[in-house]
Amino acid sequence: MHELSIASAVVDNILEFVAERSIKRVIAVRLAVGELSHVEEEQLRFCYMAITQETLIRDSALEIDRIPAVVRCHHCDYSGRPKYWEDALSAAPVPTLQCPNCGGAVEPVEGTDCAIKSVRFVSDEPVETVPGSSDFASDPS
Amino acid sequence: MIQQIEASPDEIYDIELEHSLLEANAKLAQENRALLDHHGITAIDVMGAIGSGKTTLITRLVEGLKDQIGVAVFNGDATTSNDADLIASQSVPVVQIATVKGCHLDANLVGKALRKTKLDNLRLIFIENIGNLICPAEFPLGSKARVVVVSVTEGPYMVRKHPHMFLGAQLVVINKIDLAEAMGVSVSELSEDVHRLKPDITVIPTSCKTGAGIDQVNSALLAV
Repeated sequence: MHELSIASAVVDNILEFVAERSIKRVIAVRLAVGELSHVEEEQLRFCYMAITQETLIRDSALEIDRIPAVVRCHHCDYSGRPKYWEDALSAAPVPTLQCPNCGGAVEPVEGTDCAIKSVRFVSDEPVETVPGSSDFASDPS
Repeated sequence: MIQQIEASPDEIYDIELEHSLLEANAKLAQENRALLDHHGITAIDVMGAIGSGKTTLITRLVEGLKDQIGVAVFNGDATTSNDADLIASQSVPVVQIATVKGCHLDANLVGKALRKTKLDNLRLIFIENIGNLICPAEFPLGSKARVVVVSVTEGPYMVRKHPHMFLGAQLVVINKIDLAEAMGVSVSELSEDVHRLKPDITVIPTSCKTGAGIDQVNSALLAV
């Protein structure tokens, strides 16, 4: 259940972010979770909800983007999606580190991280934002 | 039903943070690694399920190495010191890392253990992770190699049931091979499953009871 550690890190980071600014309310926190990271989405949501209960950000939504895995093969120069083990016993096909092209060993190059991507909040004071950063699923207006 | 009033959109802001949640641990792991490299020490992270034989394997490996090189063991366990006591019987330095409710070791805990250890004259440190097949994978500790211990008593589908653990490992030990026949488990099929996930990984079948494969594991670890 390392999702609890991850969720705690999210909440600590956001609370720190809030404490440094004139923020009335956090609407949503957006995460980017790599396909090759070992984070279970439902558990992460549950932990986030449980931890934020007693905090200033208790009503905030947690939005999760899955970042697809990309691998690179040093044997045949393949670069792209990994080979999946379709008939393993998991609920979903399992990404492997076997090259889909030549069967050699590949290195993961994308989809291993788990990061806070952005935060959406209501502020009393004007805040400088990066243009085009609004990538939240639902527009609250 | 709770009524909610939305703020007008001009008061709503989005800020990009791009803040990695795994970075804090990864950075501490790098610091541990730098400290280990400075002392010429190789740390080996030993992962695997409860009962896979991690402690017994480490005890056997230490037995074969302690007269040749300086060896220490960090023993991660939720609450008890049983495993640490067992390894301490080999008269090598042992640090017990109690995670209490934690399901994995992290780089911070290992860093603390490193600061408690006399590093001079050590060549190898075994870090026994918590018996868990998922969580430790996400938290590198600063080791040079990660070993997954699988035992035939975990059944024939052990590898395909817990694939993620193997992707970040450099060595897989298939343990308790003396029981393979009684269990009706094929060691070569387990090995094939591992290679299907990661073609270049080294797989060594062992039996801590008969001593089969122990020297091979030690040679592989000293070569990393």
